Amino acid sequence: MRKVCIIAGGMSQWGIRQATLREMFQEAGKACFEDNPMVTNKDIDGLIVASAYTERLATQTHLAPLIAESLGIKTRSVCARVELLCASGSSAIIMAYGLIKSGVADVVMVAGGEKLNTPQKWEAFYSQLCSVDHDFDGAHGLGLPPAALAMVAKLHMKKYGTTEEQMAMVSVKNRRNGINNPKGQFRECIDLNTAMCAKVVAKPLKLYDCCPLTDGAAAVILACEEKAKYLTDRPLVYIMGTGQCTLYNASANKVDWTSWEALRIASQKAYKEAGITPDHIKVAQTHDCFTISEIIEYEELGFCKKGEGGPFVESGQSDFGGKVAVNTDGGLLSCGHPFGGTGIRQAIEIMKQLQGRAMRNVEDAQFGLTQNFSGMIAAQTVLVYGREI
Amino acid sequence: MRGISRLEGKYAVTMDLYPPQGKEFTRIQPFFDNLRQNRFTTTKCKKCGKLSYPPRVICPECLSEDLEWVDLPKEGTVVESVVEEIGVPIGFETPLVLAMVEIPGAFTFIVRIINCKPGALQAGDKVRLSVFEVEPFPAEFGRETVEIARVYFAFEPVDPEKRIN
Ligand SMILES: [Zn+2]
Repeated sequence: MRKVCIIAGGMSQWGIRQATLREMFQEAGKACFEDNPMVTNKDIDGLIVASAYTERLATQTHLAPLIAESLGIKTRSVCARVELLCASGSSAIIMAYGLIKSGVADVVMVAGGEKLNTPQKWEAFYSQLCSVDHDFDGAHGLGLPPAALAMVAKLHMKKYGTTEEQMAMVSVKNRRNGINNPKGQFRECIDLNTAMCAKVVAKPLKLYDCCPLTDGAAAVILACEEKAKYLTDRPLVYIMGTGQCTLYNASANKVDWTSWEALRIASQKAYKEAGITPDHIKVAQTHDCFTISEIIEYEELGFCKKGEGGPFVESGQSDFGGKVAVNTDGGLLSCGHPFGGTGIRQAIEIMKQLQGRAMRNVEDAQFGLTQNFSGMIAAQTVLVYGREI
Repeated sequence: MRGISRLEGKYAVTMDLYPPQGKEFTRIQPFFDNLRQNRFTTTKCKKCGKLSYPPRVICPECLSEDLEWVDLPKEGTVVESVVEEIGVPIGFETPLVLAMVEIPGAFTFIVRIINCKPGALQAGDKVRLSVFEVEPFPAEFGRETVEIARVYFAFEPVDPEKRIN
């Protein structure tokens, strides 16, 4: 099997954008090619597009050929869209990785994005009813936003003693990391007091515990090692391992809301393929759609013991200089969360970290990790990246 | 109960809040027929014994089609609840009360709590099934559009002190 490298990455501006979905995909594609001038649109033989709400909010299906056309890409190996809601981008990277590894494709652009802010603000929330089991969970008004995670937070607090302050610390850290990110939605620091006193969204989650609704796109280019050697002069960054696990979808079938078994399974597979343990990961971009998510993710990814996610952030272990720097580019809490774009944004940051050209570098990182959960904590996606030594 | 008609003539709306119903559109119509009789039911596999929720037409465990409808308890216990103030999907009242409810001997799921006094619901409270009519399904049969009546359900506090009637 061939080795697969990530050789370029770029983003559109993220936020509440005065732009359509296709325009943002163009911006992201251009930024990606500008990131590595050694690769052009003529070198791309495949395109995988990641987007979840294109039919509902951009009134467009059959999206991949439209994006290919708008970026001057003529594909030969693959041209299709992948959807796994919040993990669409990471899923598309896994698909491209598999196709390149097996020889079906050589150089693939993976582009993901979302247009979530429409003239009617309610439209995005309304659409989220079809992102859970529509007929049996969505029909109760359960979309993606805070309800389920607020209950998870309460249960985690009861069971493990996690505090609202510890949750707020995730937000303070990620907002601080985000101030250097010119493409992110928010670039203001907040202090603990501001986070603690913010408007309640769904108790115990307050405004800064929740990521916003975001428009934006991002793109990366993956290539087989043989071609990557000619298409970049930077240190090669490899995809070392992947895992994607779903154990249930409907709320009635969840076994334990605070223990995310699917994430343990997905990450253990990814670590095993990469031949590493959680201790090797020095930088990670995890799915901080809510602050409590990041806390549980520390635990299930093996960065700390189960139940100790709260103290882990409180003691600075997930910050620069700690055991593993998490969400070094600001995460979803700062950058925002255009579903299809998020996993790709994470991949860009890890690539830059491992090449030593991030906005703020984690010292001596040889391995990095990205993680998303999607739906109502229904699926877990993990990728491990490593640089050549 | 507000539905999609609120937006008629204002915006192109394609979201249907509720499941398709009517024997022409679903094979689990007994679930809805039973709701109408105030029964909370689901399917159980006669071959392997697996109780499925949502109800199925094929057992997800052993893939048998030999399933039977069984009654679930109509009363459950609140494990945790949340009052959603922001981002409530249109068509649902704000604040929206959702609770993780344990249905004894079956499962724990997230369900909407209606007829509940604001802030009254607590972990450990008993809640019970409450069935209501929702927007009909305007179905085309040839040149005719026939309205197929639909029902759905939520839970409500058992304690009359916590209930708005
Ligand atoms: Zn069975």
